Amino acid sequence: MHDNITVSFAPHISKPLSTRTVMIDVIMGLAPAMIAAGYYFRLRAFILIAACVIASAVTEWVCNVVRKKPFSLGDFSVVVTGIILALSLPPMLPVWTAVIGSVVAVAIGKMAFGGLGSNTFNPAMVGRTFLAVSFGTLMTTWTVPATIDPNMSKISAENILISDVSEFRTQATPLAWSKMAIKNNLGAETYAEAEFLGTVTGAVGGCLGETSVIALIFGGAYLLIRRTISFHIPAAVLISAVVFAAVGYWQDPMTYVQPLYHLTSGGMLLCAFFIATDPVTAPLTRRGMWIFGIGVGGLTMLIRLLGGYPEGVMFSVLLMNAVTPLIDRLCKRVPASGKPKS
Amino acid sequence: MVTEVQGNLSFRGGVHPPEKKELACDCAIEPGPAVKQVAVMLSQHIGAPCRAIVEKGADVEAGQKVGDSDAFVSAPVHSPFAGKVKEIGLCSHAVLGRSPAVVIEARAETPPVQPLWEPDADFDESKWSPEAICQAIRDAGIVGMGGAGFPTRVKIEPNRQMPKETLIINGCECEPYITCDYRMMLERANQIIAGVKLVKRASGCSRAFFAIEDNKPAAIEAISAALGDNELIKVAVVKTKYPQGGERQLINAVLKKHVPTGGIPPMIGVLVVNVATAAAIADAVVSGRALTHRAVTVSGEAVARPGNYYVAIGTSVGDLLEFCGVMKTQMPRIVMGGPMMGLAIADMDTPITKVSGAITVLTNKQIGKAKSAGRQTACIRCGRCLEVCPENLNPTKIAHAVKGNLLDLAQSYYLSACIECGCCSYVCPANIEITGYIKTGKIFVARQNKRMPQ
Repeated sequence: MHDNITVSFAPHISKPLSTRTVMIDVIMGLAPAMIAAGYYFRLRAFILIAACVIASAVTEWVCNVVRKKPFSLGDFSVVVTGIILALSLPPMLPVWTAVIGSVVAVAIGKMAFGGLGSNTFNPAMVGRTFLAVSFGTLMTTWTVPATIDPNMSKISAENILISDVSEFRTQATPLAWSKMAIKNNLGAETYAEAEFLGTVTGAVGGCLGETSVIALIFGGAYLLIRRTISFHIPAAVLISAVVFAAVGYWQDPMTYVQPLYHLTSGGMLLCAFFIATDPVTAPLTRRGMWIFGIGVGGLTMLIRLLGGYPEGVMFSVLLMNAVTPLIDRLCKRVPASGKPKS
Repeated sequence: MVTEVQGNLSFRGGVHPPEKKELACDCAIEPGPAVKQVAVMLSQHIGAPCRAIVEKGADVEAGQKVGDSDAFVSAPVHSPFAGKVKEIGLCSHAVLGRSPAVVIEARAETPPVQPLWEPDADFDESKWSPEAICQAIRDAGIVGMGGAGFPTRVKIEPNRQMPKETLIINGCECEPYITCDYRMMLERANQIIAGVKLVKRASGCSRAFFAIEDNKPAAIEAISAALGDNELIKVAVVKTKYPQGGERQLINAVLKKHVPTGGIPPMIGVLVVNVATAAAIADAVVSGRALTHRAVTVSGEAVARPGNYYVAIGTSVGDLLEFCGVMKTQMPRIVMGGPMMGLAIADMDTPITKVSGAITVLTNKQIGKAKSAGRQTACIRCGRCLEVCPENLNPTKIAHAVKGNLLDLAQSYYLSACIECGCCSYVCPANIEITGYIKTGKIFVARQNKRMPQ
């Protein structure tokens, strides 16, 4: 009667999901941050995002050709890598540097491990770390947002010792300033209060996608509602960051800024919602996610408060990525009905 | 009147596949095809296979025993109609591959019997002793008709080591498409209740819950009406969720108890019986009829006349589908059972057994592009399979351990605790056959432990 009956394992139906739909969801979640980047940094934002996405995609394609593997750009995961890398770069970074970062991110961070699903480290953070170490000056050259200064003049982390609060916005990124304040015993308090609104809307110096807290919260909420990410990692990152920051603030409120300020400035939210939640490099179990998130948030705050860098997100994510397999082994799930006897 | 019901009894995990019950839920149970020939499988249950007790060429009567076994865990098989034994040979079986069967040719055009059975108003289960009930169940060859096929007599017989106190009647029918249990509950509520009372008496259970999913308000109403003011049997409305009808999940939802991993429900004093089994028990004990027919749902988008049919056990899938009219579609998949746990069959001569509650015919559209092409991509560790696993396992780790031939690792992730419900494969965005890998792993482990031939 039928010539073409197919057989396979049950179940015979599946939810209309694919890796591509998951990745498109993440891109949708990143859209508000991209729009905010475009608003504050104008054309530069789009140039960098396009450069990173194209360079990442080409790198993956070349790797596939060299390794004689099937075409894999269709899952859009490389687009997500490119966007996250671009959003974590300084606005005035030359395009060639961004391209180098993308090539390293995809070729070494992802394809060298065997492609999607096999990489230990978050590819975008691998690329960013490579750039931060190789091109230190370029990676710490910040720009005044176009909404404050249409010329988007450069700001230098060195020239910070100013007393007028209104000039801060054109002089340093919030975290760089608070770092300098710690070094030079300046009052962190005044600055933080004056700048808090700027960090919420995004009208401050910083990486492309990290400045606007509102856009990141919108995007993160979208991912949470769509259940593309679970709340465990963002919650763990943010709670542990607040706790660590609060300890610092409680110890010495004149040197360390308020905990809330640490949440809204730097890459904390971008990390909590989009970088630390990268499923490939985060633990599988809920307990593991809590440990991972607490590690990311805690390490970030340690670097910010005590370390030499003003920002610690990329190092803390990479460090926790490295221990993810161990966390997974530590946090094995026990069957709902208990461990079997014997 | 349809009442709004909301069940909050549930378990952790599970999925909500499209129910698709509307295709067949309004079709009353009708007589199935009047077939000329049936193949009665000798192994339709868990336990020792039967041995044929009729010779080739022998005449058999309707309901005559054609296969039996001396083993305790076994159930005899019977001829559904009067006819002649054509041969005793091998037949396709969805699980066992080729398995022996008694092929019986009908003597005349025998219309399938449709016993409309109503217990008397003064039905009193205490007329039968527990031993008599157990014996009648064994003689009628009744096995768990929900899918597992465990001999019912073995299950309900009182056991001193594991006294049973709670009986749960499984009327969940959580698989998409299937509606035969639903129709049974609507049309034969009294028969089912009579069966429940008999099981309760035979097993010594002191209380009983009739579990029905909240997407079947009509069935809840029918059963509640049939129960009247019975104090000892209560309707438990459970949430509509797959795999709510799984024994372990159902016990968890209704009683908030866990059956130990690797254990069986009697260990915690629970007995679960499917509604179709309960109806068959009433039939067997009161009227002495053997289990030779069962309600089967034939459904799916590719079926011209989907519905619920009262089919002679042994009827081939091909005959049944021809009777219901299958539209010729490209590459359909014929599934014995529902789409979540059912087994895809390749041979249209595969006979219906006591445990086949449904035949689902799926088209490529339902199966989905990626699945029908068998396209699997890399695991992105999204954790969806962990979220939905009703047994709280780590499906992706088990599947990848089996894929890498690391059986020890797979077992350390509790491979054997998997109930093979298929939720993980259902939600996997990478379309990995997680359940398939786990099933394969279980077979490898069984072979390693020499519990299964190579």
